[in-house]
Amino acid sequence: MPDPIQSLKDIVLNFDIDSAEKTAKDALQQGIDPLEAAAALTEAIRHVGDEFGKGELFLPDLVCASEVLKKAFPPINEAIEKKGSAQTSLGKVIIGTVFGDIHSIGKGMVSTLLYAAGFKVVDLGINVKGEEFLKAVKEEKADVLAMSALLTTTAMEQKKVIEGLKDAGIRDKVKVVVGGSPINQEFADSIGADGYGATAPEGVKVVKRLLGIKD
Amino acid sequence: MQKGFKRNFEPVRVLSDSQIEQIHTATLNVLDVTGFKYESKKALKILEEHGCRINYDSMVAKIPPSLVEWAISKTPSSFYLKARDEQKSMRFGGNTMYFMNSAGARYVDIDTGIVTMPTLEQNNNAVIVSDYLDSVHVFPSYTPYFEMEGVPPVMSCPVSCAQRHRFSTKPSRGAQPTDSFIWETQIAQAVGAQLLGCVEGAAPLSLAEDPCNAAFYYLEAGFPVYIASGSIMGGSHPVTVAGASVSHNAELLAITVLLQCISPGCGVIANNFVSAMNMQTGDLNFGTAAIALHQMAYNQIWHSFYKIPVNNTGSAFSNSKLIDYQLGAEKLPLATASALSGANLIVLHGGVTAELAYNPVLAIIDEDVANTLGHIIGGFKVDDETIGLDVIDQVGSDGTFLNSQQTRKMWKTEDYIPQMFDKSSYQEWINTGKKTVIDKAKEKYEEIISTHKPVPLTPEQDRQIDRILKEATEYYRKKGLL
Repeated sequence: MPDPIQSLKDIVLNFDIDSAEKTAKDALQQGIDPLEAAAALTEAIRHVGDEFGKGELFLPDLVCASEVLKKAFPPINEAIEKKGSAQTSLGKVIIGTVFGDIHSIGKGMVSTLLYAAGFKVVDLGINVKGEEFLKAVKEEKADVLAMSALLTTTAMEQKKVIEGLKDAGIRDKVKVVVGGSPINQEFADSIGADGYGATAPEGVKVVKRLLGIKD
Repeated sequence: MQKGFKRNFEPVRVLSDSQIEQIHTATLNVLDVTGFKYESKKALKILEEHGCRINYDSMVAKIPPSLVEWAISKTPSSFYLKARDEQKSMRFGGNTMYFMNSAGARYVDIDTGIVTMPTLEQNNNAVIVSDYLDSVHVFPSYTPYFEMEGVPPVMSCPVSCAQRHRFSTKPSRGAQPTDSFIWETQIAQAVGAQLLGCVEGAAPLSLAEDPCNAAFYYLEAGFPVYIASGSIMGGSHPVTVAGASVSHNAELLAITVLLQCISPGCGVIANNFVSAMNMQTGDLNFGTAAIALHQMAYNQIWHSFYKIPVNNTGSAFSNSKLIDYQLGAEKLPLATASALSGANLIVLHGGVTAELAYNPVLAIIDEDVANTLGHIIGGFKVDDETIGLDVIDQVGSDGTFLNSQQTRKMWKTEDYIPQMFDKSSYQEWINTGKKTVIDKAKEKYEEIISTHKPVPLTPEQDRQIDRILKEATEYYRKKGLL
C-alpha cells in the first residue's frame, strides 16, 4: 500500500485533480493525523510555488495544483475541526478582485502563492463589493487585505474600500495591498494602500514585508 | 465616402470546407447545449420571445440552431457608417479593407519606453495626426488613450469621444462601460454623424449588463454595431486554435442573435481580438503564430461563409516596449495574415507595449505598413499593356527598361513607395544625419501638428458637446461615481 503522506504530496505534484478528494479521504481513513495531511499538501504546493518562481513550472501547473488543494482540503479541514486542533499559519489574508471587475487570473496566482508561502487565504472571488471586503476583514480578523483590479475604470474601487475601512474605524487593523495592470506604486500611494506588487511573487514578498516576516 | 483598399483576389483559406462545417456545427452545439449568459432580463426576455430556452436564475439562454442560422441570414454583408463629413463615411463589407487606429492606456516616450498619463493636449494631438493620415479610416472607442490627465475614469469614454469629433471628421466607434453609450450617441448625433456601436462580450460565453444595455441603445439610435469578445487562449478560451475558434464563434454569434432579435437587419462588424496567455506571468502575448491562425480561420468563417463583415485586432499591439524590430516583427505578420485572409477592418496604427501605450509617431510609420498591405491586396493587372511584350522585345538582351514609356508611366502605380522608411543610399544616409525611420516620423509629427488643421465643428456643435459632457458629469455625480 502506498504511503498516504506521499500520496497526498503526489496528487499536488502530479496535478491530479480527479484523485484529490479521494486521496485525502483515504489518508484520513488510514489514520493519518489531519494536521500531518495538511502539512504534506502545504509542503507540496510550496514546492510547486518555488518551481513556478524559478520558471520551471508554468501558470497552468500552478492553477491545477491549486485546484487539487481545493478538492483535498475540505475533508482534512473538517477532520482538523473535529479534532479541535489548529493549523499554524504566517497570517490571514483576505483577497479578491474589486467590484465591476471579473478578472481572476492574477488574483488566483497571488492567492495560490500566498497559500504556498504558508498564509491562510480567504479568497472572496471576483466582482467583490466594498461591503463584502469590509465584512470579511471584520469577521475573519485578517492581517492583510489584498485587492486586484485589472481595469482602469475599476481601480478606484480599491480606494473606496480603503475609505470604507477608515469609516468603519478598522483601517489600522489591517494592511492593504493592491495590484493589477493599471496599478503602480504611485497609484497605490495615492489611495493610501500599504503595499503594491507588480507581479504575483512580488505581491507575496510585499505581504511578508508588511507583516515583518523574513523571506 | 472613404474608399479604403480593394481586395482583388480570393482570400487565403486555412480551413477546408469540411473543417468549417465542423467548427460551425460545434458552435451551434455550444449555443444550444451549454448556452450563453446575458446579464440583462430585458435581453433574456426578447430572446425567449424568439425561441431561446431561458434560465432566469443563471441568466443563461440556450439558443436553438435555427435562431442562430436566422440571425446570420438577417445580418447584411455590408453596411454604411455616416461620418460628420460625408467624404469620410464608410461602407464596411465585401472586398473592401479599411484600417482602424489602435489605442493604449498611456503615452509612451519613444526614446525611453517609459509610459506616463497623457495630457489632454497629447490626446488631441494624437487625434489630429490620425485625422491627417489617409490610411486611418476610423477610430475605436477611447482612442488614442484610455485615460487622460485630469479626466476622471468614468468620464474618459465620453471625453475621448468628444475630442475625436472635435479634432477629426473621421467616424468613431462608441464604447459601452458605465452608460457611456448614452453620451457618446448624443455627441455623434449633435455633429450629424453615426457611431459604430459597441457590444463586447466577456469571455467565456457571457455578455455583461452594460453591453446588453449598449446594444439596445445603439440600435435604437439606428447605428450599426461592432461586436467583440476578447479572447485569451489558455485563459478565457481553450488553448487550442480549434477550441478557441469555436468558443469565440459562439460568443460572437450569441451577440449577433441578440442584435438581430432587437433590430432585424442591423449592420454588424464582428471583431476577432485574440491573445495568447503568457504561462509564466498570466499577461497577454501578442503577435504569435496561433493568433494569426485564429484570425485567418475566423475571417474565412465569417467573411466567406457567414458573409458578415470582419474586423481583426491582432496587429494592434506588440509586447515590445519600444518602436523596434520586435514590434515590427510581431505586428506585421498579423496584419498581413488579416489582409490576405479577408479582413474588412484591421486595427493597426500606433499601439505599443501590449495594450499599455500608444504614440502617434508609430501611427505615422504604420501609415506605410497600411498602404503597403493595401497595395498588396489590390493585386496586379495582367493585360497587354502591363505585360508589354513589345517593350521586352525592344529592350532585348542589351538594353534597359528605364528609358521605356512603360516604366515612366507605370512605376508609381505598380508599387507603393513608402514615405517614412529609409530608402536612401548609404552615402546619402550619412550625409543627411543618419536618420532612422523614427527620426523621420518624429519630424513628420511636428509638421502635421503645426500645419494640419482638422475641419472644426460649428460653434453650435461645440456648445452641444459641452452641454452633453456637463450632463454626463452630473449624471455620474448623482450615481456617486464622481
